[in-house]
Amino acid sequence: MARTLTRVGVVVFLLGVVGLLAAVPPGAAQAPVKITLWHAMGGARYDAITKEIAAGFNKAYPAYTLEPLYTGSYGETVTKAIAAIRAGNPPHIVQVFEVGTQTMLDSGAILPVTEVAKPGDIDFDDYLAPILNYYQVGGKLASMPFNSSTAIVYYNKDVFQKAGLDPSRPPATYKDVEEMGKKIVASGAARAAITFGWPSWMLEQAHAMHNQPYADHGNGRQGRATRVLFNAPFGVEVLGRWKRWADDKLLAYGGREYAPNKAFLSGEVAMLMQSTSQVTTLEKAARFRIGTGFLPRIEGQPAGRSVIGGASFWVLRGKGRSPQELDAIAKFFRFVALPEETAKWHMDTGYFPATKTAVALLRKQEWFVKHPNHETAFEQIQQGPDTPNTRGVLLGNFVQIRNITDTAIEKALSARLSPKEALDEAAREANKLLDEYNRINK
Amino acid sequence: MEGRFPGRILPYALLFPSIAVIAVFLLVPAVEALRLSFFEVSPFTGHGTFVGLANFGELVSSEIYRHSLKVTLLFAVGVVALGLAGSLAVAVLASLRLPGFGVYRAVLLWPYALSPAVAGTIWALLFDPSTGPVTVLLRAVTGLSPNWMMDGTYALAVTVVAATWKMLGFNIVFFLAGLQAVPQELREAAQVDGAGAVRVFWRITFPILSPVTFFLFVMNSLYAFFEVFGLIDVMTQGGPGGATEILVYRLYQDAFISARWGIASAQSILLFVMVGVLTLLQFRLAGRRVVYA
Repeated sequence: MARTLTRVGVVVFLLGVVGLLAAVPPGAAQAPVKITLWHAMGGARYDAITKEIAAGFNKAYPAYTLEPLYTGSYGETVTKAIAAIRAGNPPHIVQVFEVGTQTMLDSGAILPVTEVAKPGDIDFDDYLAPILNYYQVGGKLASMPFNSSTAIVYYNKDVFQKAGLDPSRPPATYKDVEEMGKKIVASGAARAAITFGWPSWMLEQAHAMHNQPYADHGNGRQGRATRVLFNAPFGVEVLGRWKRWADDKLLAYGGREYAPNKAFLSGEVAMLMQSTSQVTTLEKAARFRIGTGFLPRIEGQPAGRSVIGGASFWVLRGKGRSPQELDAIAKFFRFVALPEETAKWHMDTGYFPATKTAVALLRKQEWFVKHPNHETAFEQIQQGPDTPNTRGVLLGNFVQIRNITDTAIEKALSARLSPKEALDEAAREANKLLDEYNRINK
Repeated sequence: MEGRFPGRILPYALLFPSIAVIAVFLLVPAVEALRLSFFEVSPFTGHGTFVGLANFGELVSSEIYRHSLKVTLLFAVGVVALGLAGSLAVAVLASLRLPGFGVYRAVLLWPYALSPAVAGTIWALLFDPSTGPVTVLLRAVTGLSPNWMMDGTYALAVTVVAATWKMLGFNIVFFLAGLQAVPQELREAAQVDGAGAVRVFWRITFPILSPVTFFLFVMNSLYAFFEVFGLIDVMTQGGPGGATEILVYRLYQDAFISARWGIASAQSILLFVMVGVLTLLQFRLAGRRVVYA
């Protein structure tokens, strides 16, 4: 409410300013066209997006001004954007995480990126296929790929060495995690073997890594998903394994999102399954040698591919955008897609270098030779089949469903429910939300 | 004889600003929440379909919501009981005329000056499952390694302690003021009659404090129901497994994360009714025992 009032105040003020401007004689210098970008990049990524990218764009295109605004976590940013859409006053561009994709598609408030960027502006074929595939729905690219990530495993090489393990060999399978973990804990090299952030995303990753569907209708890509499938035997097995790790004191669950990084950085826990977006941050903060590897696989399950996470830029139409504004947006996207910018963003954060030319540039600079941990996720995403199961699930009300699966995982790990009970309960709740979503958004 | 305003309009004109503020910030949103609670609302258009009492029906039948209600009650009982007992004990100590008591009193008020987010961060750091000083200490002393990210009961206990601590300064100030109002003669008279310190406290000091205690009882209940959102958000986000998901946090999730305005409005209405009934009960039941000396 207070914000609405502030906005009213701002509008009144702007009207006054416009009145003044109208009185200024023609020929006065034209103010740059302003476009706003709402983003959710905190921490080290905040500087990268504001100081590097936004400032760089404004310098390169003096006729345009991009105003970045940090609008909180991913979830909060989506909600704020929805509220702004309703109020008829949305930002030009909003950064939305992959979980918000279905919601954005159904909002009726977006301009597909391919309609904003004219052919020739951006070479979308230059983008890595798995990234493009995630944001392509019904054969059309809906949003501008920006910070794409996937999950990998980080491990403490010093701890591995102390425990008598080969520090150059990360765990490849769940069995490795268990055997290595037991050695690590028994030797006292670390108090626990493994932890992970983004628990529900890890469950989604496990499904994609083994080519299992997470929801019906081709993971929601051949029509709206109506039922989640994570409580099928496969999902129960994954959570069952995690539960066993917890029972064997191998897993030290450390909370959602990036909270568990601390346990890994303190040397308390030897391995961490986490987003590749943390490579730079973790390498800078760690006082030990960090190794990285592919997400461990479950023995005897089919091969899949790790799934894309992170976020992309969505163009909001608002009450219509002027040709200059549209041009500014297109130019901004072109700027972001430049190989130098893409490469720099990757180096600053650990997110994918999203284009092939950026990868080539990085190779030429021998970046990956000097920073092998930055290459792990990139190599992982290139392996495995391209199927609806590995392209990433699309769900309505996904933000809330993630919350529900987080809760289920925590309930199972703390032994309040069995893995099967916890996932069944979560599936019931999630299906209710899907029904509601499909009812409201026909 | 009370004075009267010369015209009929003037009093209303003078009242208008406050009524307008109340209308805009309280009445309109409340009425809108009541209206929305009967709808299933599209997040993008704000338009909805009338669903009658379905939102309320879903809440009442939802196990998650009932669980959340249970957590809230546990949380509130914990915060109120611990908060009142703890702050009364500290206030009695702080009212003793010891050297440097002025400093103690000032220091005791500090937690209240912190924002819930800062308080939450402090406690989250203290109890961090891998690096928190409290965890390290517990591990050294008991050999156990409690992880409140996994153990729901422990998480609830930690958040109750944090919430209580945050409110401690507020309570102590009121108790201190109340204690100063206890007439010295009464206590001396009781002592002359042979009453011990404990007896003097329960028979004289405590009854005289009862209006303050009752006031704090109501304030702390309201605090536990409505004002701990920031603390929970920073510390546990309602986890693990919903163990600290109090009603306000659940409401926030539905309204501001999932944009389910209809069901969130229904929750706010239910919460409003519950707290109204609770406050009424407190006045009816506990209020009778209060001695306004």
